[in-house]
Amino acid sequence: METRREQLAIDPLKCTGCQECLLACSMKHQGVINPKLAMLKIIRLETQELEVPVICMACDNAPCIKVCPMNARTRQKNGTVATNTDVCIGCRACVYICPVGSPAVNPYTGQTMTCDMCRGDEAGPWCVVACREGALKITQDDILTRGAARERAARSRAIFPN
Amino acid sequence: MKTVIIGNGIAGNRVATELRQRNKEIEICILSAEDVPEYDPCSLPYYLAGNVGKTDIFKKTINDYKQLGINIAFNSKVVAINPEARKVITEAGIEIGYDKLVLAHGGALFFPPIEGISNAGVFSCKQMSEAEKLKFHKGRKAVVIGSGAIGIEAAEALKKKGYEVHIIELLGWILPVLFDEPTARILEAAMERQGIHIHTGEKVLQIKGDEKVTSVVTDKREIECDTVVVATGVIPGTALAKTALIETGRGIKVNRKMETSVPDIYACGDCVETFDSCTEEIVMFQLKHNAIEQAQIVAKNILGDNIGYLGAYAFARVHFFNTHAATFGKTMRATQCMLGKSELIEKQSGDDYLRVVLLDGRVIGGQAVGKYADYIGLLIGAMWRKDDIEQLRERWNKIPQAGAAYSWPLIQLGQLVGSAMPGSTNQI
Repeated sequence: METRREQLAIDPLKCTGCQECLLACSMKHQGVINPKLAMLKIIRLETQELEVPVICMACDNAPCIKVCPMNARTRQKNGTVATNTDVCIGCRACVYICPVGSPAVNPYTGQTMTCDMCRGDEAGPWCVVACREGALKITQDDILTRGAARERAARSRAIFPN
Repeated sequence: MKTVIIGNGIAGNRVATELRQRNKEIEICILSAEDVPEYDPCSLPYYLAGNVGKTDIFKKTINDYKQLGINIAFNSKVVAINPEARKVITEAGIEIGYDKLVLAHGGALFFPPIEGISNAGVFSCKQMSEAEKLKFHKGRKAVVIGSGAIGIEAAEALKKKGYEVHIIELLGWILPVLFDEPTARILEAAMERQGIHIHTGEKVLQIKGDEKVTSVVTDKREIECDTVVVATGVIPGTALAKTALIETGRGIKVNRKMETSVPDIYACGDCVETFDSCTEEIVMFQLKHNAIEQAQIVAKNILGDNIGYLGAYAFARVHFFNTHAATFGKTMRATQCMLGKSELIEKQSGDDYLRVVLLDGRVIGGQAVGKYADYIGLLIGAMWRKDDIEQLRERWNKIPQAGAAYSWPLIQLGQLVGSAMPGSTNQI
């Protein structure tokens, strides 16, 4: 099985909820500017005053592939999971089983859509390019955890220098 | 090594392809009771309704079997297994030897002993051949007996085909195994709005008609109809296993490596009884994702990997027209006979409804309709991890903003189960 080597890392603290990534995503995949057609979504958590972009994490052992009654969810060459729109019947089983609720539902067809990392576009994923705040960035597998560990270590160093 | 797989369904084919991917030499033989390549029984109702074409429900063609080097024998229903001689015997009397045997023949549809159930015009919707007959049957009024997942989907498909549809359920509400009463009532109301008539708490006494079905008699009324669909459940095929003296309970008994009590015979799919990954109880979830996982475990163990199965998980969803609902774990009704303090979290806004069942402060099940269902995966995660909900609520109330990047699923989860804090989710 192909696993994805590069991940989109999100930083809710930087996200302002401006939706530019949604516009870029719909432009890239559907050719129109319509945030409803974007493959990622931004969830607003009112009580925490946070805007959280939600993107497919392309789980290694993806439950959405197993649960789909039509076998429409398939693993792509670059490790992402995509919905085959020829057979998808819009039952949303993949949305329900997803640990983050990431598959977006196309409001016009009822079928689900999932981030495909813009399939080897030279510019990289368009949402990353569009984000002015730097809330989305592309990372290689282990750098994600390494960065988090480094940040935590820096925080503890600030409290206990040396 | 020769591996014989009985059953050409999801589980059987998965075992075959997994084996072939890892090992090119192994001899694989699938024995199918039907005469078509692998298809997906889950998608039969959509084929019936005309949502998808016939080619879309097939997962393989005959050529695919050739390319993978898998021998397939159609119309070879296995009637007996002889473990001493390492042979299986088909209906036609042909004996096939094996080194490893996989039982993946699934279950058979349960036909209740109702008078007139073998009349013309009585169909089922589990196998390709039956669904095909139903698709080309011409009628205008249908009665669906039983309101499980198959019954509901068949009813929707028939409604889309232009039938007048009645559903008859013996128990108090539709989908009684999957949903509790309040959730089922919302779904019932949604179905009634679409023009499907639902009669709960009624028992079918007789199917009338000499040659063709003319009406269905229940203990409360008589419904005129020309089509009857029986969807009263699937019973695991244990009869075959009994011929080899394999231990059976409700289904075929297996250990964590998916081995039956007889050496070199494995079982997976709808015909086995397995245990719940969360509660460790013996259960039978005859669901597709469990069949796939079990088949993967079987394939790995045949190749000598020694891997244990982590258990089945209950997750199902139903949808008809524009209403979507999902359920996981146990229902409140199944929880009532368990020891411990159970708690119920309910949220409702309009037609959207969320119901989470907690036992001793841990999530053990839930149901959702509408937008809440989109985040039900978070609750399934909480059930798997056995999160302490009291602790979670406390943490959620004082979660520092700086931790948000790492714990946003926790925040979202807190919004769903944190009944102490009124939370609102706005999805853009």
